[in-house]
Parts: sequence; structure tokens; C-alpha cells
Amino acid sequence: MQPSFTKEPSSFRDPSGYIFEKDGCLFRQVNQIFKEEFDFFNQSGCYQKLVDKGLLIPHKVINENLTGDSHCYTTLQPEPVPFITYPYEWSFDMLKDAALLTLRITKEAMASKMILKDATPFNIQWYRGKLIFIDTLSFEKYDASKPWIAYRQFCECFLSPLLIMHYKKITLQNLMLSYPDGIPVTVTKNLLPRRTKLSLHLYLHIHLQAKYAGRKTNTKDKPVNFSEKKMINILTSLESVIKNLKSPTTTTVWSDYYEEAAQRNQYIEEKKSIIREWINHFADIKTALDVGANDGLFSKLTAQNGIYTIAADADHTCVNALYNYCKLEKVKNIQPMTIDFSNPTPAIGFNLTERKSLFQRVQTDLVLALAFIHHLVFTKNISFIQLATLFTRLSKKYLLIEFVPKDDPKVQEMLLNKPDIYPDYLIENFENAFSATFTIVKKQSIANSGRTLYLMEKQ
Amino acid sequence: MMHLLYIDPGSGSFLVQAIVAAALGIVFYLKSFRNYIVSLFTRKRKKEEENKPQ
Repeated sequence: MQPSFTKEPSSFRDPSGYIFEKDGCLFRQVNQIFKEEFDFFNQSGCYQKLVDKGLLIPHKVINENLTGDSHCYTTLQPEPVPFITYPYEWSFDMLKDAALLTLRITKEAMASKMILKDATPFNIQWYRGKLIFIDTLSFEKYDASKPWIAYRQFCECFLSPLLIMHYKKITLQNLMLSYPDGIPVTVTKNLLPRRTKLSLHLYLHIHLQAKYAGRKTNTKDKPVNFSEKKMINILTSLESVIKNLKSPTTTTVWSDYYEEAAQRNQYIEEKKSIIREWINHFADIKTALDVGANDGLFSKLTAQNGIYTIAADADHTCVNALYNYCKLEKVKNIQPMTIDFSNPTPAIGFNLTERKSLFQRVQTDLVLALAFIHHLVFTKNISFIQLATLFTRLSKKYLLIEFVPKDDPKVQEMLLNKPDIYPDYLIENFENAFSATFTIVKKQSIANSGRTLYLMEKQ
Repeated sequence: MMHLLYIDPGSGSFLVQAIVAAALGIVFYLKSFRNYIVSLFTRKRKKEEENKPQ
């Protein structure tokens, strides 16, 4: 009988092995071709050291060929990561920390006579309140006489986007989405200001490398002399450059939202107490998605109630601040991510299956949409019916949603410079549109704000 | 193990890496040399300060 398993579509580049799913569990097959390297990874103590330091995802060894594949050497069952995010959904500091983690792991591996054979942010995930390396098969024996094979990849996947964000003061999620394999040094060189040529480290890692990358060669690269000292110099230089880079955004429209809202303290407090009461009422809520999470005020509330919460917002500054908060406070069950729900992450890569779309990855027990939908209605002209469809896709069971009426000062601000083409923006129409797929379980107005909270259950 | 070389290191990447590493070697050497000289003086000054009669 043919064993049934599904090979992970993104796991095809490295012949060392692949990820597959069987009976709802994720496994990693190590192929015969990688036997020697994998055994050395264990025997050298490299694996244990990285796991003990919390840098690498731990796994169980399953001494069984679950795929029936003749190339199989052994099978591993890695600790499952609840939710996979991609670098183009991260904030600046997440990418910066992922870069520093990659360099640290490379140094740790070198101490065990091993090295990273690839350096891509897709190998790193946010797991239990910290970044962790998830690709167990990225380690190979270190030959000090050879340069680092992943050097160009590191520069293009990590250094390029971080430098552009730092120097041009822009967020880069969209550009990173266009270049999932890293922003080529030849492109980065042209996007960076000229003064970066005057920095020796940047000149070497970007401008000089771009010069060579642009050349067409028909001959095989000549062997070059390399040493461990040289490799350490490169890693130290990359580390010192990256440590000094700063997030491109400091304040935006949204980052002082709650400070301003603090003036409406009573509104926030009452909203919090209603939400707390409602979620406590339903013990079957284990996961939540907070759309338009802002700086995560309500994500923190659900997380404190033991709910694993994905806090998504389009605003980079808010997501970056929340990431730093989670890191500092060691919050283990909040996953911050940058998502614009009017244009969520698409599926990309080979066959459009290599990297999954947001909808393929997210469906949570509860979706929180607090003071959110009026933004999509008044700035993107998205209708109630379209919004109801969006939440039906995102939620498994419940939707906690806030309705902000048109006469609300925040809505009036949005309508200041545009004609009111929204005669249908009425609470009755909102309830009707959502009633097609949801049942309204609870409804309560918040203080004297004129705003209304709903708890809905999917039909 | 060339058959496991699954990522493209990029054309000229090894050569450029050798140049980058050599340049960095000089930079770090000069830096450590500078730090050594600075440390000589600071150590001397510290000793002088220590030897000063109270």
C-alpha cells in the first residue's frame, strides 16, 4: 500500500530532505544524501547546543520511513510552530533580529565545525515569544578554506531590505514581496543613497559585491584562499552594521491613537470590560485574530486570557512596537504581523504554492474587528457584504465586531475632504449583511460613544 | 559535496568575498592596533594616577 503523505510545496529546493504532512502532523525527512552531514550535526553536539540555547526548533527522531521514499535516511518530528509568517509580513525589528539570529547561529555552528549553508529569513519563525531557527537541515560541515556559500544570500535577504529601510526611511513589505529570494545587491545599490559608498562596510558588502554580481562570466569561479579568521571578520562586520540600523518609522497617524483615545478613557475601559466578559463566557476560544490590532491593546487582553492571538495591522510602527513589547515582556502567545486587509498577503512562488496566502494560513476561533470596518468602508469603499465574506473566511466560530456610526467624530474626519457617497452605511444594513453568515449572540453599546459591540457566531 | 550546493552563491561571489574579507582583515587589524596603542597610554596614565602620592 502506498503511504499517504503530502509534501510541503515550499520544501523542494534543498535535496537534503523535505517537510511533509501525514495524519495532521508535520515531519521532516532527512535524505540518504545528507546522512553524513546530519550525523555530524548530532555527534558534534551542534544540535543539542543550539536547542539548549533556544536558537533552534527541537525535534523528535522517528526511526521510521513514513513516506516509503527510497531516499529516506531518517524522519524527524519538529515541535510544531502554530502559525507561519513570512518576512514580508514582519516589521523592521523582527527582520533585524532574524538577521542577528542567523549570524549568531552561524558563529555557534562554526564553533562546532559546522556552518549554515543557506541564510534566508524563511528559515526563521516567531515561536513562543522569540525568534527561532526552524530548518534543521541547513547545517553542513565547515571547510575553513572555502568562502561562505550563503554570503550573497544573506546580503540580499537581510542586509539589503534593512539598509533600504534604514537609509530611505520607508517600510518595505511590498518590495520584499516582489523579491522573495532577497533584493538583489544590484538593485539595492541603486536604491541606497550615494553616501553609503563612503562607509567601508557598506561599500564592501553592497557596492563592491554589486559590481561583481553584474559581470557575466562564462568561466567557473577560480578557487580562492579563505580562512576561519576571514569568515569571522565577515560575520563581525555584518553584525556591527546591522546592530546600528534603526527602524524607518517612529510616529505615524496611528502610533499615538490610544494616547489620544486615552482622553476617551471611559470608552476604552468599558470596551475592555465588555470584551473580557464575553470571551470568558466562551471557553472554546483558543485562538484569535485581531484585525487592525493597532498597538495590540485588545490582543494583550485576549492573550492574558490564555488565547493565542495573531495581532495584525497595516501600520508598521504599531506592529514594530508590539513586537518589541512582546520581546521585552516575554509574551508567548501574541504573534504580531503587518497585514493590510484591503490587500492581504497573496500566495507566491513556484506554482503559486511555495508561499501561502494569508487565507490559506489563518482561521481562528475568534476574530476581533474593533473600530476597524469603518476604515475599509470609508477609505477603500468596501461594502458590508464584502466585509462579512472576509470575516466568514477568517473566523472558525466567533466574530467580535464594533460598529462605528457615521456621525462619529472619527468618521466625520474621514469624510472631511470627500463627498458622502455612503448612504447605505447604517446599523440596520450592517446587521442585515452580517446576518447572512453570522448569528448575533450579543449586542451592547459602549458608554456614550454611540458605538456598538457585537458578538456573532458563525452559522 | 558539490552536489549539495543547492543555492547559487552568485557569480563572482567567492572572489568578491575573498576581497571583502581581506579588506576587513586590514580594517580590524588597524582597529586592534589603534586600541592597543590607546590602551598603552591609558594604562600608563592609570599607573601614573595610582602612583601619585595621596
